[in-house]
Amino acid sequence: MLNWLKSIWNSLWRVGWPRDERASVKAMLSSLLLHLHPPKIRPESLKFRATWAAGLVSLVLALQLTVTGIYLMFYYIPHPDAAWRSMKDLAFVVPLGTLTRNAHRWAAHAMVAIVTVHMLRVYMASGYKGSRQANWVAGVALWFLTLALSFTGYLLPWDQLAYWAVTVGSNMAAAVPLVGDHFRQLILGDRSVGESALLRFYVLHCVALPAILFLIVGFHLFRVRKDGGLVVSEHAPGGGRGDEGHKLVPAWPHLVYRELIVTLVVTATLLALALWLQAPLEAEADPSRTPNPAKAPWYFLGVQELAHYSAFWGGVFVPAATLLGLALLPYLDTHAEGVGRYLPKERRIAQALFAALLLFMAVTTVVGTLFRGPAWALMWWPK
Amino acid sequence: MKLPVWLHWVFALSALACAGLFGYALLCDAQRPAQFQQRLVPELAVVDRCELCHEAPKHPKWLEDSHPPERFGCTPCHGGQGYATSKDAAHWASSDWERPLRTPAEQAAACGRCHLGIQPPVPQVAKGRQLLASKGCASCHAIPGVPRPDFAPELSGLRDAVSPDFVRTWLTDPGKLLPSHRMPTFRLQSQQIEALLAFLWSVPGPALAPLPSDLSGDGERGKKAVAARRCATCHRIDGRGGEVGPDLALAGMKLQPAWIYTLLLDTHRLRPHTQMPGFQLDRQEAMDIATYAGEDWLADSGVAPWKQREAPVQPALAEQGKKLFGELGCAGCHRLGGPLGEPIAPALDRLGDRLVVDLPKTSTGTSQPDVPSWVALKLQVPTAFDQKGAMPSRMPTMPGLAPADALAIGTALASLRAQPLPAGYLRNHDPPERRLPAGETGRLIDRFRCLVCHTVGGHGGEVAKVALDGAGSRLNRAWIESFLQSPVTVRMNQAERMPVLGITGAQAQQLAAWLQGSQGDDRVPLAQAPTPTADLLQRGAALYAKAGCPTCHVAAGSGTMQGPTLDGCAVRLQVGYVQTLLTMPELVPAARHTGVQLSPGDAAAVAAYVLGLPAAPSP
Repeated sequence: MLNWLKSIWNSLWRVGWPRDERASVKAMLSSLLLHLHPPKIRPESLKFRATWAAGLVSLVLALQLTVTGIYLMFYYIPHPDAAWRSMKDLAFVVPLGTLTRNAHRWAAHAMVAIVTVHMLRVYMASGYKGSRQANWVAGVALWFLTLALSFTGYLLPWDQLAYWAVTVGSNMAAAVPLVGDHFRQLILGDRSVGESALLRFYVLHCVALPAILFLIVGFHLFRVRKDGGLVVSEHAPGGGRGDEGHKLVPAWPHLVYRELIVTLVVTATLLALALWLQAPLEAEADPSRTPNPAKAPWYFLGVQELAHYSAFWGGVFVPAATLLGLALLPYLDTHAEGVGRYLPKERRIAQALFAALLLFMAVTTVVGTLFRGPAWALMWWPK
Repeated sequence: MKLPVWLHWVFALSALACAGLFGYALLCDAQRPAQFQQRLVPELAVVDRCELCHEAPKHPKWLEDSHPPERFGCTPCHGGQGYATSKDAAHWASSDWERPLRTPAEQAAACGRCHLGIQPPVPQVAKGRQLLASKGCASCHAIPGVPRPDFAPELSGLRDAVSPDFVRTWLTDPGKLLPSHRMPTFRLQSQQIEALLAFLWSVPGPALAPLPSDLSGDGERGKKAVAARRCATCHRIDGRGGEVGPDLALAGMKLQPAWIYTLLLDTHRLRPHTQMPGFQLDRQEAMDIATYAGEDWLADSGVAPWKQREAPVQPALAEQGKKLFGELGCAGCHRLGGPLGEPIAPALDRLGDRLVVDLPKTSTGTSQPDVPSWVALKLQVPTAFDQKGAMPSRMPTMPGLAPADALAIGTALASLRAQPLPAGYLRNHDPPERRLPAGETGRLIDRFRCLVCHTVGGHGGEVAKVALDGAGSRLNRAWIESFLQSPVTVRMNQAERMPVLGITGAQAQQLAAWLQGSQGDDRVPLAQAPTPTADLLQRGAALYAKAGCPTCHVAAGSGTMQGPTLDGCAVRLQVGYVQTLLTMPELVPAARHTGVQLSPGDAAAVAAYVLGLPAAPSP
């Protein structure tokens, strides 16, 4: 009997538990999950400073959002009459409902931040050059999808916060010249946020966007693997060609074990956040009661701050130009100097440009979030 | 290369943290009630879990019967968060729930959400709604269910009626001229008053009839006419009289005689929307009264009496006054030869949706416990919530508004919310719509302003204690006709109040026909007087005494004058009415017959006796 069960277990694995380096290489090559890893890896790539673990944390958060999201979907009803009430039931009736919702909320916010950090790190290390050009574009797409997922999910609780944040967000979309109104109509299915917007956001949030996201994640990981992992400096041992003339270590267990640890740390952090920080749920959405000021989600507040000065230039042009600039970056900046190092002297201009953009985003976001009161008037003491 | 040891430590610690935190979460979650007790009222979107902790409600029986929890739930009246399963979340406000348990005023307002109309059975709300109407709040604010007031005087042709000095004093301190005034105080500066004056002086009114040169007025005769016409039913004269119209103490001081003369002769041309009936006087009588007014109605107010003088109109100043007139919303109450102006202040149709924390704070930062209190403070100190640097509030101060009145108004306003309730929950306590007959009868009822004093179908004034409903089944037509032409009192101990309007015979016939034809009472049959046999009359007389009728009525020379005199009442009363009233005391509540209830046989006997009484000889 025991042998029989053992044979079932063994049938799952093409090779057994790797006991030596050769077996570990074989294991990496023969497992679906593991074969995205290279069989061997440069020890420098394992260091925290090499990656800040940002890509992996993003992936872990995406998976946790999937799991918690599915649990929330069991109870959530995407209709204006019932949506907010199902949130109340999650809060008061559903087993672990509050924990799940809190975890989903904080993981979503964290993912927006971490994906941005990931992109920042790759930029600093010039990880978008040579064969990695297309993968940078995929990364920009993933960043955009993360924002879109967060934004569509923002509406679903159907409380005042959700309703007015999405109203503000969709009004910014309506500022696009010529097609703005049609664009908003496409997003909302109506001229204002209502029943059809809720259904659209729900389907996008739970089905369409995650499906696209994971497809692109697959491509993204595949390309990381095929493009030779992390970009390596020409000053590094081995002359920047990665795997030659340098001692490599097997990815099993050195990489896989670390990945497991990162997953555990992220999970524990998220659990702690979800236990002690409550996700907000304001009064039920009321189209007749506009909060003053009505604010978009925090990651759009920089844009909202800009849109305050000019709906088109601030709300449409600057974000669109930024997104386009990011996507075209690898095809505009093709200099090979300083690749693989964070702050190389050769890239002072690129660094300055990027720092300026980052500072600009940070300042506008902080001002929009903390220092804007009723009627979007400046207020020096954040509430 | 081997894995470093610290990595194992991190692994172990983080795995332990995950397990521990998840276990702790499960432990916390175990505090959720395992079994749910909840009231669901889908029509009101109510999910109330109050009875997880509270026992079933112990309401008084009437409330239990009229508002069963199965149909109303708990939170629609009490407030709080019905979804909650923990004490704090259920009762108090938090960032996730802004509406805590209701204060008493908010609870009364919640009653008013279903109980609509001007007289709901909720004292606070009823009082508030009546005040909203009588204070004229709806002239500036659109308030659902509150009619726009139309009691302020028309202001076109003001220069023909009053002196500039009077207007100045009135706009500065109306209480100085008329303690019972209804005009709110607008905190005007003298420059603004001059501008308003200039504007009003530029608006012409209907032409005045010139004082006739062929007649001379006699003040003594005028004084008698004022008494005979019973002007005091509506106006105060020498400190006594009604309050429907203005105090006549002011009239002689402020009004030009030609204006009074024109008003008396052609009331509704000069003032189409006045409550004053169109008296049918001759020129001499009007002249006499105008003369009497000029001699006698001069209150000691320090304002110079009317003189034939015009305030010079400066076009620029008048233009400024016109702007001010619009900004202050004067046209919401006062007509200027046209319709009332649109409300200028914010609509108050959803004040109950507001959270008191969202409403402006006072300059000292004090917040109010609830929306009704906020409104109350705003009413008493309109500038209380003015913000630094912002435009000061234009809202005027209401005269004679006690704190309790202000709170009642706040309560009534807090009952207004945007979200409509299902129709099955609503109760309208307004009388059904008023329908006056069309054509000449309707014109007469309007001309004589019958409904300023009498009610019909719950509408109208209550100056007269006699509702016209059912009058056609109570009174004989011939008597009505004669009463309308020369009204005499039927209650000897009371002052005669029905104005002597000068109704002609033909007009009286028309009005009597209307009362008889359409103001009947289904409960009163048309009965013939029974043959007055001596036996019947004797029995009637005996029962009359036994039932205690002489306690209130005078008959055959004895009794008291509490009620109408019964001698000769057959001229006035219908047989069926007397019989029915004696068997059914609730027929006319104002008759105060409660406690007197006879069998139909006895009633017939008493009716035969009473209706057989001869008219008393005139003294």
